[in-house]
This record gives sequence, structure tokens and C-alpha cells, in this order.
Amino acid sequence: MSTVKKESKEVDVAKGFQELEDIAGWFERGETDLEKGLEKFERAMQVADVLKKRLAAAENRVKDIKKKYEAGS
Amino acid sequence: MPTKDLLNRQHPNPAQLCAFLPSMRVLSVSDFVSLVNETLKALSEADVFAVEGEVSQYRVSQGQWVSFDLKDDQALVNVFLPVWKLGVPLEDGMKVRVYGLGRVYPKYGKFSLSAEKIELVGEGALRKALAALRLRLEKEGLFDPSRKRVLPRFPARVALIASRESAAYGDIIRILDERWGGLDIDLYHVLVQGVRAAEDVMSALRQAQDGAYDVIVITRGGGSLEELMPFNDEALVRAVRASRIPTLIAIGHERDITLAEEAADVRGSTPTDCARLLVPDRRDVIYELASLTGGIERSLQQQLDAWRDILDRAVLAPGAWVTGRIAQADALVSAASAAMDAWFRSLQETLRAHTRLFATLDPSAVLKRGYAILRDAGGKPLTSVARLRIGQQATVALKDGDAGVAVTRLGKQTIQPTML
Repeated sequence: MSTVKKESKEVDVAKGFQELEDIAGWFERGETDLEKGLEKFERAMQVADVLKKRLAAAENRVKDIKKKYEAGS
Repeated sequence: MPTKDLLNRQHPNPAQLCAFLPSMRVLSVSDFVSLVNETLKALSEADVFAVEGEVSQYRVSQGQWVSFDLKDDQALVNVFLPVWKLGVPLEDGMKVRVYGLGRVYPKYGKFSLSAEKIELVGEGALRKALAALRLRLEKEGLFDPSRKRVLPRFPARVALIASRESAAYGDIIRILDERWGGLDIDLYHVLVQGVRAAEDVMSALRQAQDGAYDVIVITRGGGSLEELMPFNDEALVRAVRASRIPTLIAIGHERDITLAEEAADVRGSTPTDCARLLVPDRRDVIYELASLTGGIERSLQQQLDAWRDILDRAVLAPGAWVTGRIAQADALVSAASAAMDAWFRSLQETLRAHTRLFATLDPSAVLKRGYAILRDAGGKPLTSVARLRIGQQATVALKDGDAGVAVTRLGKQTIQPTML
């Protein structure tokens, strides 16, 4: 199976967006629970903040893989 | 006579010839044909060669025997072989290379090139063979669109199988950096051209299967059909389709899509296009993020406004009720005070009347009017003659004092109303 671990601080952008979309959907349904609304709003801003920071990452990381056998050998 | 002269003459006498050609012998036809075949065989073993030419009159007889003419612009030779030896699909007009043995078939005296192996030569031939392979793999469902997987929108780890030295590699890295950041790319450097390329790419693909990749990308720049042939290799194409990780393949050219690209989950038209298919543009994503959070903010604001409305109404409503109640109470109070007023006034009047009355009843007031009050020795008023005795001592009070008196006479009298 997988021999490579994902970095623990790796931001799952897809999950973050899904959470925001879920929150937006909750509001659009016209829910009237104000306390919950404020909670969800706070959470949305938290997630958005994390995503913004992740999107600001400028570089991609390239790593050379040693092939298990090289061509021409 | 010298041999040379004999041979130079127009019609030498065969009998004379035989006399002068010492090594010549007489053969039977079969022997002759055998000799020819042996000679040809010896030739083939000594010097490996193949014959290259164009296919024409291609036909298969009884489903077993392939026969065609291999020709160039001046000569032709028949090629013959059993169907099972034919490794490639052939058509008239194709250029091929035939490895085999020339021989004369004894029975019919026909000269043929008996083929051991046939190779395709040139682009036309390549194309035709490719088309045939494509058809066969398509029938197996290798290119079936319903089998193609969707790439994740935000990949985190990617395997890139490409030649480190190629422009394609430089392009894809550059565009990826422009569009996105934070991607982990594992580069598997491979040959992308030549006889070893297919095997090299396949081994990299095999190795990448064990990685936790979201996508495997295979890319190279454009080239001629022959240069791109490794990506039409049947085993490679099958390996691509069998990959457990979604594949994105971009072989940079527009004219001929390689079979590996057709088998991939997503095809990029160029390495640059590949980068665009792999990651989104971070500006678009930032915009989408802002739009989402903006929408959430607006929704919350709407919720707050709705609540404010409800609160306002709740606050207003009791005011109106109270005002109503107050008005009601007001009315009641007014009515009450009006009633009270009237009662009070009458009470006051009564009081005044009583006060007047009391005033008139006040003894000092009576005295002031000139009347006298008779009291007995104990101070008790004597109000009736019936209570009096002659000789009784009493006190008479008048407005300015009192006097001691004795009763000398008694008589009954009716009170005459006097004008007061």
C-alpha cells in the first residue's frame, strides 16, 4: 500500500471548500437559529483563513525519484 | 580454338562448348533446382539481409497461405509464407522489409522469397498498423469513456513521468508554478524516445503505483510518428489503462493522438495544457473563496436582520397593548374621578351642612343668641319643667357668665315659635 505519509500540516483544500459550501448551503436553506448561525459563521471564517494562507503558497516542490531500475543498464 | 573466341561467336556449337568447359556437368531439373536453392541458402546464411519493397497483389489463400508481390520500380519478387508467421497486418501499397530465403519451388519452378519475418517500414505502414491496433484495443474497451476517472480538483501529490532534459518538463513545471503552489511532485526521469522508451515509461508507471499520488502525469514534447511510437506500444497502453491511480497524459502534438493518451483518464494536448488540467489557477480559487465567504456573510446579515424585525415587532406589540390598556385605565380613572368628584362634593356639602348644623347646635352659639342654659348642681342641663322642684337650686348660664337661682314657681307652657 502507500509507503509515503502525507505531511500532517497539509491543508486539504478540497475538504475546506466542501465545508464552506456546506455552511453556505445551511444559510441558504433559511435556517433561523441565530446562535447556530453565528457559530457557523465563525467556523466559516476560520476555514477561509486557513485556505487563504494555503492558496498563498508560491512554490511547488519537485523531488527526483530513483527508479528501481534505470533504463539502459 | 580459344574458349573466348568460341564464346564470342554468335551461335556456339553446344557440343563444342562442352568439350572446352571442363567443370560443367549435366544435371537433372530437380538437381538443378536443388543446386539453386542450396546456393541461395548459403548466400542467406553468409550475409544477413532483408529485402525491402512495396506490397502488391496481397492475398491469402485457404486462410493459410499468404502471397504477395514485393516490388520496386524495376523488379518484383513473389513473397510466400504461412499466415501464422505474419506478425503485422499488411495491405497493398505498404512498404515492408522481408527477412527470408529465396527459393525455387520445385513443383512449379517458381521463384519466391519465403518469408521468416516481415517488418513494416515508413510512416504509411506504421499508421496502418497503428490503426489496426487501435481498433483491436478499442473493441476490448480500453478507451471506453465510461471507464475514465475524474481527476481531483486540488491534487496534493503528483507523480511526473517525463524526461528531465525535455522542454516539455520545463514547460509543465513553469506553468504549474504560475498557477498553483504547495504541490508535491515526484519526478520519474525516463527515456521518451527510442527502442527502450516504452519499457522505461512502463517501469516508472509500475513503480508509481505504490505511491500515495492523486494523479500520475506522463508527458513529452511533440515529434514524428516514429518518434512517438513508444507511446503506441501495446503493453504500455495496457499498463496505462490498468493504473490504479488516475492518469493524465500529454504528448505534445496535435496530429496523431497516441494510444497511451487514448487509454489515459485525461488527455492533455500539450504539456502546458496538462498543467492547466492538473491544477486550478489560484486566482480563480481565491475568487471563489471570496465569493463563498461573501455569500455566508450576507446570509448571516439577513438572518440578523430577520431577527431584528422579529424583535422590533415584539417590542412594538406590547407598547400598543399597554397604550390601549392605559387608555382604558385612563377612561376608567376619569370616570372614577368624575364619580368620586361628585361624591366628594356632595360629601363636602353634607359636611358643611352638618357643620352649619353643628354650629347652630353649639351651646355657646345658642348662648350668643341670647338664650340661657339651666343646669342643676351637678352641671347637667335641665331641659324640662317636669324635672324642676320649687326651691331647687340651679345655675343659669348666660352669654357672659352665669348666676345661681332658685325655682320659685312652675307652670306648663307651649313653645311659641319665635322669629330668629
